[in-house]
Amino acid sequence: MSLPCGTRNYDYAEDMAIVRTKTHWLLLICFFILLFTAPLYFNNYWLGVCNLIGITLIAAVGLNILVGYCGQLSIGHAGFIAVGAYTAAILTNRLELPFLVGLISAGIVSGLIGIVFGLPSVRVKGFYLAITTIAAQFIIIWVINHWSLTGGFVGIKVPYASIGGLVFRSESSQFYLIIIIAALCVFFAKNLARTKVGRAFIAIRDNDLAAEVMGVNLLFYKLLAFFIGCFLAGISGALLAHWIGFLNAEQFSFTESILYIGMIIIGGLGTSIGPIFGVIFIRLLQQILTMEIVPLLEKTFTALPAGFATGVTPILFGLVIVLFLILEPRGLAHRWALFKSAYRLWPFSY
Amino acid sequence: MAEFLQFIITGISVGMVYALIALGFALIWKSSSVANLALGQIVLVSSWFTYSMLKQAELPLYIAFPLVVVFALFLGWVIERFALRPLIAQPILSLIAVTLGIGYFIEGVITFIWPWSVDALPRLFPREVIHIGPAVISQEYVWVIGICLFIFVLLTLFFRYHRMGIAMRATADDQMAVQACGIPVTRVFSTSWMFACVVAAIGGILISSISGITHGLVETGLKSFSVVILGGLDSFIGAIVAGPIIGLAESLGGGYLTPFTWAGVKDIIPFVVIIIVMIIKPYGLFGEVRIERI
Repeated sequence: MSLPCGTRNYDYAEDMAIVRTKTHWLLLICFFILLFTAPLYFNNYWLGVCNLIGITLIAAVGLNILVGYCGQLSIGHAGFIAVGAYTAAILTNRLELPFLVGLISAGIVSGLIGIVFGLPSVRVKGFYLAITTIAAQFIIIWVINHWSLTGGFVGIKVPYASIGGLVFRSESSQFYLIIIIAALCVFFAKNLARTKVGRAFIAIRDNDLAAEVMGVNLLFYKLLAFFIGCFLAGISGALLAHWIGFLNAEQFSFTESILYIGMIIIGGLGTSIGPIFGVIFIRLLQQILTMEIVPLLEKTFTALPAGFATGVTPILFGLVIVLFLILEPRGLAHRWALFKSAYRLWPFSY
Repeated sequence: MAEFLQFIITGISVGMVYALIALGFALIWKSSSVANLALGQIVLVSSWFTYSMLKQAELPLYIAFPLVVVFALFLGWVIERFALRPLIAQPILSLIAVTLGIGYFIEGVITFIWPWSVDALPRLFPREVIHIGPAVISQEYVWVIGICLFIFVLLTLFFRYHRMGIAMRATADDQMAVQACGIPVTRVFSTSWMFACVVAAIGGILISSISGITHGLVETGLKSFSVVILGGLDSFIGAIVAGPIIGLAESLGGGYLTPFTWAGVKDIIPFVVIIIVMIIKPYGLFGEVRIERI
């Protein structure tokens, strides 16, 4: 990280600090104040969008650890989210366990399922692993659709989240719950990347053979990456279940998995800020497109083809993913870094 | 017994179609090591295009079929030229993700143009059933097997004797050496994409003439990956052998396992095969085991 002019690091703690200068602290505190007072200026509709963004962010952070840091390509992330969502739903609805128990066990069950499907990663990588995770996605969805415990095609109802006597019923109370967990996850991911584990992940991503020769235990760390990635997916799924209140396997389709890959690519792989950008970009685009632009266009141009409303979103998202890969493969995070350094060096940018 | 024979014939013919689609995958993988995950969507869009030609434009088959081939060639060329060419020498993750993006894009185009999402192709093959021993089998399955075998032979001859086929095999073997010899590698890439799309389109027409055009064709494309995995990624013969195996597993499993498990177990068998192969023999039956050096 490049520092503002005149700022020097004199000890290790300063070197490792995430928030380094007073300006950083000020900006961070302002950001948190803005974030936590958001229910004051957003109406319920936009709070709902924020909640969806927060939930998606948790899963995207997990996927970023798995794909961006550890280099293990997973295209079945929606399947793992579904595992978490259904675990939470079954535990709180059928067994009437408290919300927190459901949340944690959703993460753990999802992580364990992730380890099972991640086992081939010990021997294969790249495309083989991509195919394995696609297979995992379809197998998981099939099991959910046919197992009597999950409610099958009919779906399953999920009660509101509650901690002690506190029930998260309104959008704004759920907003606080989701945002706090999402912030913790982002903080965890940011710190994970700087620990021994995170460095091992990066070594595996860059060259797994070299990493093994250097003494990184491939089996352990690859499966750990799968566990962490899918654990976060499970947490996100559980929150999604309590937020929507009703689950159906259609919410976890293969296209959703592709969208998650798209998010972390657009945001920037292997960066801590990337998933935030990617998730906000994709989810906002989705909302604005389906809720604002498409109805507007349909009102103005009456001769639009029947498939316009459903077709335009995948067309645009497909295009965005392809264009980002071609034009800016390092994602929005790289643009953000460029902007920051330009701002820092202005007006002498050479 | 009659039931068993029926399962075998349908299994083999569906498996042949899988093999055909998988061949399209192997073609691209061999020449340019791009994993084409948009295969299912390519299959679907070419089936819909065939539908438009045959039913909406009401063209006879001998005009419609060449048009479909031209469409598939064009599709392959466009994808290679505008999405994959700029990404040459990028990491495998980008190459996989870009095909996912393309697939998503094509899916959008499909819902855009053909929003009703389920339809049937007109019958391409005679209706009369055939009797093989005690089994009664719809004739189209036999036709499908025949056409697939014909295309396999055609492709094998192409790779053995045609200049471009030899260039493609050479590119698969060693890209650097081929470039040094003056073979235009980019043209080899786009040819392989065009061929792959044509093969996938034919597979799509064959399977949708039997079971109709649905969104499930995308899944058919994904299922054909199990063929590629079982046969070995870079092996044509692997695809041809593994296709019928997967088809048989699917139809026999669907026929005999359903009472013991939940309904629809048929759709999941290819994916289970993928997981099993990955754990036991990840490079497939005929695939080349790559030994990596640092």
